[in-house]
Amino acid sequence: MRGSHLPLAALFWSAFSSFSSGATAAPQAAVNTKYKAFFKDYCVSCHDEEKHKGSVRLDNLSFEINSLEAAERWQKVLNSMNSGEMPPEDKKQPDKVLKTDFLEHLSQEMVVARKTIGDANGKITLRRLNRREYKNTLRDLLGVDISVADLPPDGSPGTFDTVGSSLFMSSSQFESYRHLGRNAVNAAFELFATPVANRKHHIEPEEAVNKTVEKEMARQGSIRKRVAMWTREVDTAAKRPENANVVAEIRAKTKTEPHQLHAAWEKIAGAPAPTEFGFVDAQDAFGHEGQWKTFIPPIVDYLSLPKVRSGAYLSSGMSSTTAAACSVPNEWPPGDYLMRIRLAYVGPLSLVPSRTDFKAMPAPEPAENRRFLDVIYADSEIVLSTHQVTGTMEAPQELVVPVSIKKPGYRFFRLRETNPEVSRTDVDKNPAIWIDWVEFEGPLNTTRPTPVAIQAIQPLLTKASSTDVDVRKTLETFAVQAFRGRVPSPAYLDKLLALYQTRREAGEKPEIAIRTPLSLVLSSPHFLYLSEPVAEKQRRPLTDLELATRLSYFLWSAPPDAQLLSLAQQGQLQQPAILKSEVERLLASEKARELVTGFTRQWLGIDRLDFFMFNPKRFPAFSSAVKEAAREEVFSTVALLLKNNRSLTNLLTSSEVVVNGLLANYYKMDGVAGDEFRPVTLPAKSPRGGLLGMAAILAMGSNGEHTSPVERGAWVMRKMLFTPPPPAPPNVPQLTRLEGQLLTTRERLSAHQEDPQCASCHRKIDPIGFGLENFDAVGQWRTQDGYEKEGVGKKTWEIEPAGAFHNGPAFANYLELRSLIAAKPENFARGFTEALIEYGLGRPCGFSDQDLVQGIVQAARKRDFAMQEFIQALVASQAFHTK
Amino acid sequence: MSLLSRRHFLRSASALIALPALESFGFRRFASAASPAVPAPKRFIFLGFGFGVTNETWFPDPKTTGEKYPLPPGLEPLARHQKDFTVVQGCRHRFSDNPHGGSTFWLTGANPFSEPGQSFHNTISADQIAAAQLGKETRFTSVQLCSSEPASTGHGAGLSLAWDDHGKPIPGFETPLQAFHKMFSPETAPLAQRKAMLLQERSILDTVLEDVNDISRGLNKTDIDKVSEYLQSLRDIETRLEKEEKWLTVEKPKSPVSAPGNGLAGREEIKVMYDLLVAALQTDITRVVTYRQPISSLLTSIGVKVAAHDMSHYSPGERMAASQTRDVAQSELLAGLLDKLKATTSPDGTTLFDHTTLVFGSNLRTGHYLDNCPTILAGGGAGIKLGQHVVLPKDTPLCNVWLTLLKGSGISVQSIGDSTGTLTALS
Repeated sequence: MRGSHLPLAALFWSAFSSFSSGATAAPQAAVNTKYKAFFKDYCVSCHDEEKHKGSVRLDNLSFEINSLEAAERWQKVLNSMNSGEMPPEDKKQPDKVLKTDFLEHLSQEMVVARKTIGDANGKITLRRLNRREYKNTLRDLLGVDISVADLPPDGSPGTFDTVGSSLFMSSSQFESYRHLGRNAVNAAFELFATPVANRKHHIEPEEAVNKTVEKEMARQGSIRKRVAMWTREVDTAAKRPENANVVAEIRAKTKTEPHQLHAAWEKIAGAPAPTEFGFVDAQDAFGHEGQWKTFIPPIVDYLSLPKVRSGAYLSSGMSSTTAAACSVPNEWPPGDYLMRIRLAYVGPLSLVPSRTDFKAMPAPEPAENRRFLDVIYADSEIVLSTHQVTGTMEAPQELVVPVSIKKPGYRFFRLRETNPEVSRTDVDKNPAIWIDWVEFEGPLNTTRPTPVAIQAIQPLLTKASSTDVDVRKTLETFAVQAFRGRVPSPAYLDKLLALYQTRREAGEKPEIAIRTPLSLVLSSPHFLYLSEPVAEKQRRPLTDLELATRLSYFLWSAPPDAQLLSLAQQGQLQQPAILKSEVERLLASEKARELVTGFTRQWLGIDRLDFFMFNPKRFPAFSSAVKEAAREEVFSTVALLLKNNRSLTNLLTSSEVVVNGLLANYYKMDGVAGDEFRPVTLPAKSPRGGLLGMAAILAMGSNGEHTSPVERGAWVMRKMLFTPPPPAPPNVPQLTRLEGQLLTTRERLSAHQEDPQCASCHRKIDPIGFGLENFDAVGQWRTQDGYEKEGVGKKTWEIEPAGAFHNGPAFANYLELRSLIAAKPENFARGFTEALIEYGLGRPCGFSDQDLVQGIVQAARKRDFAMQEFIQALVASQAFHTK
Repeated sequence: MSLLSRRHFLRSASALIALPALESFGFRRFASAASPAVPAPKRFIFLGFGFGVTNETWFPDPKTTGEKYPLPPGLEPLARHQKDFTVVQGCRHRFSDNPHGGSTFWLTGANPFSEPGQSFHNTISADQIAAAQLGKETRFTSVQLCSSEPASTGHGAGLSLAWDDHGKPIPGFETPLQAFHKMFSPETAPLAQRKAMLLQERSILDTVLEDVNDISRGLNKTDIDKVSEYLQSLRDIETRLEKEEKWLTVEKPKSPVSAPGNGLAGREEIKVMYDLLVAALQTDITRVVTYRQPISSLLTSIGVKVAAHDMSHYSPGERMAASQTRDVAQSELLAGLLDKLKATTSPDGTTLFDHTTLVFGSNLRTGHYLDNCPTILAGGGAGIKLGQHVVLPKDTPLCNVWLTLLKGSGISVQSIGDSTGTLTALS
């Protein structure tokens, strides 16, 4: 099979223009000669051939930064100026503005130099599957989902997890692959070896709840009865004449005690001991009486709620109903299941109106905040999903939650009302959600088509005896599937067979023995690496099979499916029309969700959302559930644009947002109910719409307490304007003089503008960040900000978003700032394209890619930057077809 | 940690701990420590912390060099050991330009840009140079300790502080419990079964090697390098198997400390890792240990509310106070470790401290400063002069310190990273 389509591919290849011609020369990093005089005056005057102070000579330093050595020397110049070390204090100092401009220029040129010198010139390094791809590949191959948490994280900071040169391998990682491969094979055997019928497990949560509640009622009732009996007998004894003196004495001593006589029962002749009624002592009996008052009224109230006999309420006031528990039965195999929950929003119902302590509580939570349900893993408290409850008691709703049971892994779930991290006292008492029943159904895995690799194994398991030839054939079929169509070498197959025989000789049954070689296939190079062999210093077009693999890992992070493989095997995939329609088909598939999340997460740096804990006291509304919904907003928006082939520029500004009920509630938008994210039209002049209005993006530009205008400004420059500021330089003296003063954010950051070392970058970054100050640290709109410091005081100020881009237009408020940013769609498109190239080709996008970038941006612009155009243009490009 | 094991730790910390008589374990063939004629083996400990120190209060006054210098507040908890450690100022890595680079190059001093066409490159770390020679005769060539904190909390790229001779990251034990089990928990399977397992492991390597040969056909150099990484991991396993085979009949030593509890974090976690590190050296299970210390959980455990990264960009006030609290906590922990090293004696009367070289430091001074890397050296292993405050010329290669320590311990090495020579100022 391998190489069989080369002739056709070669034909196609001849149509390609050569690599060198037509390509724009890569930009050369160079220090602008207009700084010659500056450099001579302030640097070379001491560091010349004659003086070469500190053994540093700069007179012979070329203004072209075209070699590693030149880059190092210029980096040293930049570092020592940034650190304030040079020019020395006692020497002539340059003008501040000039120095700022020079530093800005040199830092930018150093970025260019690093990029030029580090340019891979289109070379794609052999790459292994990253964590996501490995997991998806096992899923498609074996029909099972396993946890890959054991594998180390992929790639270096600043690159995508698809970049081969940053994907390493170590012995411990090899061991992890072996271990995980075995887990996956075991899980597949459990599911498919003896096919499991689809089954259902039905849970009526009130059964457990009501039983507990009634048991408690009965217990308390018995206690109450016994206390009454005992006190009555003490009272009877006290009335006897011979006890008159003692009783008077007791009454005099403890006037106000209601149980004065009962507590002193020992002094009263003929009074029975509390132990006779099952209490440890008198205090014990009274204690139980107190409990009665606390616990029984809520239970009585609970049991008087409507439909309490056919469902359970979630209420933390009733400890037994805090969260309905349910689990996938232990004997069910790992796999994908559906959890169905029939439930209703009823409340908040008033449980205990008569209780005195209730009145002192703060104002109840707005009812619309009480409509949310968390499904959590009971063992870890990790939230699996959050849902808006829209059903009513009259018409309950049925939620369907897919759950994946892994081995080892959680199979015990609980339902609870979505809790903000701070306690809401009224939630403690008054239930708002009623659960009718919960049901598990599955495993779904066996209802899907059995994967080819599994089909290959099945005869081996059903046959009474298998010859070595059978086993070898099985191993081969399995390996071809695992190797994405590539036929393994005979020597390799021989050794796999030998391993099987060793295990058989060790006494293992065939269905166990076969697992050793099968799992080893899943740790072999042809499974772990996307191989596209090419000789030294050569380039060649990909074979159809290689193209199919590259395409499916780009759009799905998963191996090619049967249709894609078959097109490749028939040699049709290179036909532009077929390739185009395959891209459309792959993008329409659910598996393209991996492109949306995997790419977007890294392109926009969404992981930063997890760098900080958001202070729950300051931001109670930004619960974990809202944070996850905010993250999902970014993905759902990109997914929608991609699916409907709409313009990328909708991420710059848009008249709609993609939200679900929970997030709409957070954004204070009415009329959105339910869990699914859907586009909703915004009112005019809404600050939402586009990335900059998204809570997740704004929260990333904070530290969980306060906004960071620097972080936000730099993000806008990196991602939206695509004019990334240079990386944070080392050894720049820190600003400390303003600490301990009560200043506005703007005043505090004004210090950035004073020193050239800071101003060279911050004069561009900070104004953008200030323009976003109307959004607080969790992305809520505000018009005021404040600062409070113990021992110093408190200050509040009106937000002033007005500002101007450095050497650019001014803006009066956030909406104007957003319009100015949105006016540069080309920049944004370039950034998106470069990221897409790096992600899709698995190598850094260098200067040698400028023609490719330009070509894609131009193609997309013709269709108003429609999302799929970028992908189609990249897939159609020569680079995508070349190794 | 349960009350019982906590008490156990406290007790063992205060008492003199004797090195077990290794002779009785059948170590004689392997452990040179057992023979009185052979000098005690040299040992190395590298402790790296992210996010630097407090500039104003951690470094001694540069004007007070030599002995008996006034200890700054950040080092105050080390007062009882002042004559036994040396503070070195003035060092940096020439190629360190990225203040967010963490500990990636701390022990290597590599130039990340030295490979054209690649944006990242690293070289062998000092501990691995030492381990290549000191680790031949021990069960573990080297031991890497880490925390379960993500590398983004101040340590940058890498799986531990150690990088192999191909400049590839080496993973480490992430929790005290994991480290304890790997180093000290006895093997449960019978010998014959373990022998068969080793044999099967070899055939497994053989099998995948066939596919390595297959995939390697017709590759260019860059791709061959990638396949070599895979091949190298097979070789590393092979080396480990060889070692396991050699040690198959030798029982693991009994741990001088009891099994740590699960879920330790922050200060307690570091303290227990220090105990395990001493136990590892004491039982001669390894002679080279690195520890990439946690920082976020340390802050949480000492009641600091500021995030680690924010703390490192301190200015007077809450953040600076946090940074100083962290300095003191780390110095207290280090003082405890020095106590233990000094209290662990061999039959010949010398202590573990006498033969060990301990390095405690960070690639980052504070904030975004990559110069004057905080560096503390202790132990008698490399023959450097202790009890000193040494201020080296500005921007002395930190790798010169590594080179001095390695050579001083009898390791044959020409250079490391950007080193230019050994430092006479340290001896």
